[in-house]
Amino acid sequence: MAWLQTEVLIIGGGVLGAAVARELSRYRVEAALLEREPDLGWGSTKANMSIVCQGADALEFRPEYKRSRLVWESIPMMEPLCRELGVPFKRIGELTLIRNNEERAKYQKLKTRAEKVGFTGLRFVDRDELFAMEPHVSREAVGALYNPDIAVVDPVRLTIALTESARRNGVEVHLETEVLGIERSGEEFLVETNRGEVRCRFIVNAAGVYVDRVARFLNADEFVLYPVKGFIGILDKDLGHLVSHEIHMRPEAPGEMNIVVPSVYGNLFFGVVLRLGRKGDNSTTKEMADTALRNLRKVLPGVSEGDVIHTFAGFMMFRNWELGWHECVVEASRKVPRFVNVSIGYPGVSAAPATAKEVLRLLEGEGLRLQEDPSFEPGLEAPPSFVDLPPEEQQSLIERDPRYGHVVCRCETVTEGEIVEAIRRGANTLDGVKFRTRAGMGRCQGGYCTPRVIKILARELGIPETEVTKKGKGSELLPLRSKELLG
Amino acid sequence: MKEAQIICVGCPLGCRATLKVSREGEVLEVTGCRCKEGRRYVVEEFRNPVRVLTATVLTEGSRVPLLPVRTSSPIPKEKLREAMKVLAKVRAKPPLRAGEVVLEDLSGTGVDLVATRDLPS
Amino acid sequence: MRLQGVDVAVIGAGPAGMAAAIRAKEAGAQRVLLVERQEELGGLLHQCIHNGFGLLYFGEDLTGPEYAKRFIDRVYDLGVETLLETTVLEISPEREIKVINKGGLQSFRPKAVVLAMGCRERTRDQLGIPGGRPAGIFTAGTAQRLVNVEGLLPGRRVVILGSGDVGMIMARRLSLEGARVEAVVEILPYVGGLIRNEVQCLHDFDIPLLLEHTVTEVHGERRLEGVTVAKVDSHRRPIPGTEVQMECDTLLLSVGLIPENELSRRAGVELDPLTGGPIVDQWRETTVPGVFAGGNVLHVHDLVDNCSWEAELAAEGAVRFAKGERTEGREICLRPGRNVRYVVPQRIRGEGPVTLFLRVREMEEGVRVRVGDLWQKRFRVVKPSEQIKVELSHKDLRRLPDGVAEIRVECEVAG
Repeated sequence: MAWLQTEVLIIGGGVLGAAVARELSRYRVEAALLEREPDLGWGSTKANMSIVCQGADALEFRPEYKRSRLVWESIPMMEPLCRELGVPFKRIGELTLIRNNEERAKYQKLKTRAEKVGFTGLRFVDRDELFAMEPHVSREAVGALYNPDIAVVDPVRLTIALTESARRNGVEVHLETEVLGIERSGEEFLVETNRGEVRCRFIVNAAGVYVDRVARFLNADEFVLYPVKGFIGILDKDLGHLVSHEIHMRPEAPGEMNIVVPSVYGNLFFGVVLRLGRKGDNSTTKEMADTALRNLRKVLPGVSEGDVIHTFAGFMMFRNWELGWHECVVEASRKVPRFVNVSIGYPGVSAAPATAKEVLRLLEGEGLRLQEDPSFEPGLEAPPSFVDLPPEEQQSLIERDPRYGHVVCRCETVTEGEIVEAIRRGANTLDGVKFRTRAGMGRCQGGYCTPRVIKILARELGIPETEVTKKGKGSELLPLRSKELLG
Repeated sequence: MKEAQIICVGCPLGCRATLKVSREGEVLEVTGCRCKEGRRYVVEEFRNPVRVLTATVLTEGSRVPLLPVRTSSPIPKEKLREAMKVLAKVRAKPPLRAGEVVLEDLSGTGVDLVATRDLPS
Repeated sequence: MRLQGVDVAVIGAGPAGMAAAIRAKEAGAQRVLLVERQEELGGLLHQCIHNGFGLLYFGEDLTGPEYAKRFIDRVYDLGVETLLETTVLEISPEREIKVINKGGLQSFRPKAVVLAMGCRERTRDQLGIPGGRPAGIFTAGTAQRLVNVEGLLPGRRVVILGSGDVGMIMARRLSLEGARVEAVVEILPYVGGLIRNEVQCLHDFDIPLLLEHTVTEVHGERRLEGVTVAKVDSHRRPIPGTEVQMECDTLLLSVGLIPENELSRRAGVELDPLTGGPIVDQWRETTVPGVFAGGNVLHVHDLVDNCSWEAELAAEGAVRFAKGERTEGREICLRPGRNVRYVVPQRIRGEGPVTLFLRVREMEEGVRVRVGDLWQKRFRVVKPSEQIKVELSHKDLRRLPDGVAEIRVECEVAG
């Protein structure tokens, strides 16, 4: 008897897997999603700059690439999707700084190419207009190419909302479930996991950094993916006013993007320094940090090391790293029937909505019958974000549940009510609470709230505090009690 | 005759004193201190090093898991580790007021362990 | 609780806030309100279970909880009103205060405000220590709360970065609780805190103190497995080739305190980049009229006793303001000069007395510290980790000639 029997199995609970799950939940299809970490979106989904774009950081706009098409189709879909799911979306626009004629000529070519494929909104701004829009950027700039469509989102919140919507509409979601092997048995796949065996007919391989490993279980991989590690830094919210658009400056060296962008929450993200990395090793290095800061100062000269409140590294799986440009892997395997590989590399968040639809088309091509489910419920009641509510709603929330009146994370104004709600909805680790509520993401980086969040987790989960982890088994935060070492 | 090095902690200067000590343990000479309080301190510290022990004890029957405590006066430095082991077995039960004795004669020192705050139920 | 009609509101009920609230009552304020985000009064004092508090203020050697209790009792005896588990969301430039607690949201406008929010700790990411993000890395103050209040230990093999007092005290605390403290790592060539703590926290427990060293990397993915420690040169940069690996499961960071002025900033209070705290006059009034500050929120103190005393000054200023008294007279700027990192207050308005605090930039021996021509004193040694406190009287200030707009506070080499 299999532990789980389903028709379509989605491997990977990042933004792509979650988008596919939600798309499938529109139809009368039995589906399940497996995620190896304790919560959703903990791979590349949480480790990027949260930008929704046309893939325009490369500003290449090559229509012959499937990746471009998927990203462009996604653009009009993202805002309605975020509104439907009740997650943040903010259109901020992008300014690519021009410092000399060579750069102007290059961006003129790109603008022309963009217009050819239908993006007519780009325009040049001169010095005066640039500095009226962005008074703090480096005076090295003589103008900019302005792209009004760029937006920012919260990729993890989006992923969680997509998954919750999918679950609400019938998709089974299993966390802390890792795929260890896959075999074929007639028309079925036998998927070995740490929880038991899963039997399914179709597999969507959206395993992020491990997409090639999963494909290799069945020799379905016909692609080579290079793990490219990107270093990103976050600046203190106090500096959030320094820019209001995504600012992009052409980097000096290959392997370095020079971007500063305000997040939906008002922090500034900067980066990205790219290096070929080793999967699973998300450590940052001093060299990457120094490079990122040096590049940042070319855009915002006044910023210093002390303004950086957090740094992290994430992976993008690039298909043709050596070309400096890459195509995605969104295709049915040519070797194994009913097996679809999904990997965008970059920009995964931006491409998610259209990629999900494309994956369903591919599944149909592999024989999946899609019949619309009239009971599909598109909306989702997002968990309340206390600090974003108007005062009357804050007051009535507190009257309903006084725990919304107890501020636990002072830096980001996160209340006990929100933390309890996040735990109710699936967070069972300190990082899980952090990514769902923002508690611990502020300037004190959890200095004040961590002990309190640990206590709340222990209380709500009914476990001793010594068992509360940062990010799953093996990362217990406080493994010992007072006096335990005194025999 | 031997020498002992003691750092005076009486004031921020932190004078490093050298004590010449006879075979019988009698302090013959003190050099390196810049004041007489310091000289007195280092001799005392040599003869009989003592420390105030501050720690916590586990509680029983209180919503608060720990009670902070202190020794009512300094105890011999070499007794600190043993005192911690003894203290580990203590369970403070409410109600207790700050200043109340939690454990008498800690580790045979003649010094009591007292609560430094009230313990509510 | 009816919040309209509060004379003085004090934000934060630690050693500074409690002292301010008490003094405000003693100085004649009718309604004094003390707002605190934690469930009880006392702030960080409850987790400071060690002694060394009150030596100056009470003339006694007290533990943190004992020091707190003296103030807590007096707060209640005097009828200071308290709002616990209440967070101040905002203070407007017009002194409109918005608070939140389980009862809901409330706004009120006291006649004067004393800011006493204290400080927060510098974080790993502000130092830019590379590596992964495993469990097992805490700032020393957070670890202190966990060990001393919650009864939980972060690990069994500990490395501590930073030899300030908090770091050294945690070294002792964890050793006493049976953990093994492998080393205290300090980037400067001298210890960051009191000699007393070096002896009684490190020597007593045979904990190695690695001066002129720093942590250059952390290892471990889920849980900390070790750190890389390297020697640093005279510019505090790691020297390649000197790296050693230290196995540990816990890293405590005691690498600096930062005054917590988010509320102050949003209220329009001007901050001094040299202290991280508000610019104030001798009454501790900030650049926003009616808003005063004292304690660690103003500048990081060494002694809790001085936090309390300074907050009392702020409270007196607040009561004067609430009564409608305004300071007249010339304004004099105090500027840090040679080898002085900062001076508080940054300005003197009108007459004295003035209680002044300063810190030097670098350790120096055989110096004379002077406040213009008003005050001077020789010191055998001065260190950045030891504040210097100066009391100037009315008379001292009257010696200043008319038209003087600036006084330099300097640390000179004495002959």
